[in-house]
Amino acid sequence: MIVKRTLRKILSLLWRDLAVARSYRAMFVMQFFNILFGVASFYYLSRFIENSDLRRALPQGGTYFAFVLIGAAFFDYLGVALNAFDESLAEARQNGTLEYLLVTQTSLPVILVGSVVYPFVLLSLRTGVYFAWGIVVFGFPVGQVNWLGAAIVLASSVLAFIGLGVLSASYTLVFKRGNPVKWLFLGLAGLVSGVMYPVSVLPVSLQWTARLIPVTYSLEAMRQAMLDHAPMAILWPSIRALLLFAMVLLPASLAAFTWALRRTKITGTLVHF
Amino acid sequence: MANISSGALPRQTASGINTQVTTEAVRVEQLEKFFPPALAGWRSLLHPLMPATVPALRGVSFTVASGEIVALVGANGAGKSTLLRILTTLLLPTRGRAWVGGAEVVQEPARVRQQLGYHGASDASFYARLSARENLRLFATLNNISLGQMDRRIADLVDLLNLGAVLDLQVRTFSTGTVHRLGLARALLHRPSVLILDEPTRSLDPLAAAEFRRFLRDNVIRRYGTTLLFASHTLAEVEQLAGHVAVLHEGKLLAYDTPERVQTAAGAGTLEQSIEKLVRHAGAAS
Repeated sequence: MIVKRTLRKILSLLWRDLAVARSYRAMFVMQFFNILFGVASFYYLSRFIENSDLRRALPQGGTYFAFVLIGAAFFDYLGVALNAFDESLAEARQNGTLEYLLVTQTSLPVILVGSVVYPFVLLSLRTGVYFAWGIVVFGFPVGQVNWLGAAIVLASSVLAFIGLGVLSASYTLVFKRGNPVKWLFLGLAGLVSGVMYPVSVLPVSLQWTARLIPVTYSLEAMRQAMLDHAPMAILWPSIRALLLFAMVLLPASLAAFTWALRRTKITGTLVHF
Repeated sequence: MANISSGALPRQTASGINTQVTTEAVRVEQLEKFFPPALAGWRSLLHPLMPATVPALRGVSFTVASGEIVALVGANGAGKSTLLRILTTLLLPTRGRAWVGGAEVVQEPARVRQQLGYHGASDASFYARLSARENLRLFATLNNISLGQMDRRIADLVDLLNLGAVLDLQVRTFSTGTVHRLGLARALLHRPSVLILDEPTRSLDPLAAAEFRRFLRDNVIRRYGTTLLFASHTLAEVEQLAGHVAVLHEGKLLAYDTPERVQTAAGAGTLEQSIEKLVRHAGAAS
């Protein structure tokens, strides 16, 4: 009964966000066409820099276009996880709905989870369109994809990233804006996790740093699944690392969020922005 | 209508008269609230972590009987909104306890939220790009109202608050008065036993405010017997609606009684003069 009721609430919050997005129809549709420009840029960059040495240097071989398309598409999941919780809180504060949401019979964690489903659904839709443009217009190779493996890697990644997002929201709940940890983390992850180049080109110290960041494992496993048709046995070490991140980060972030929520109810700054 | 906790409790009025009440809707016992001090510049970053030393409520106690209408009055900073936010579980008290519909606000916040409906002064409290119906359906779901009951409850409230003509329009197109009627509909969706309103007519023009008060008194309070606790700066509104008035000043409860008894006790001709006298007397005493 409680599970059913909670799912209904999460679906209602998703429906709310869809309805708001639907009310800006032109923007909603245009973003999918805008993706084409990003994909095209990677394609022409790839044509410009590609040579046989570069192909050999890429972990899965293949084209730089395929390598970077996967890197950019799935790095966005980390960005959305880190931003979505913060933004849903900030938006509710700014449009004045936060205190009305909080006096309903729904806990803040459920409200937050319901509020981040839409950004993840939208991102997945955008990622689908991203690859569709890549496949149809620029010849992204789809023959080698282990779809089930890719789906499991994506689910494990989202679980690991959500912990980071909740930690970020805890910071925002207490300190309101300018979350330096988030920007530092996103910047560092962009540098070391292998979005635009293989981790192996980095100095050893940065390669070690990359091992402490979950998105490194996501990109590595996602490329193996999508470009190499790697079986689960090959993907498992990365999936296991992602699940370990999730097991540590989810409880820690929930504890931090509980503390932050209580602190803002003491300081009276819950609905301030 | 949700059942309110029972229990015969003696209620002490400001004039020292004990009256026996049969049921209590809200009870506040020695409630205290302190906030961290406001800091300027880079030190403001430390504000959330500073110890709470600035008093906002100091030992406030009173009881509201079921079906009563109680107004909280006092200057800005008197502690009215702080008190209402503690009752709505949006704030934690520093000391003391409070109950809404028999549920304790710190220990049982979920039960408290089942009992209360809340609406504040701001006219930006809805999803402006959604229609009134979409907003009400969302808040109904978040208040555990089943799909089977939802549309009937919304239809009843829409009739009651005369919202039929705007139900499928986006909220951003509404007048302030209509937004507040919609706010009242949202607060009443789950049929709360206690309605808490924080300066509900602050942003309304005099005509819209009078209409809102009429709706509240005739169509909500009288019809359903809901307990109403509201904060207001408009003394005419207080006299028109409230059976009891709680006068707050710098976090202290100066008086809690019927408007007539507050006037008699203060030896003043009007409620406004009574409050002035009480505040002056409190200032001289401190």
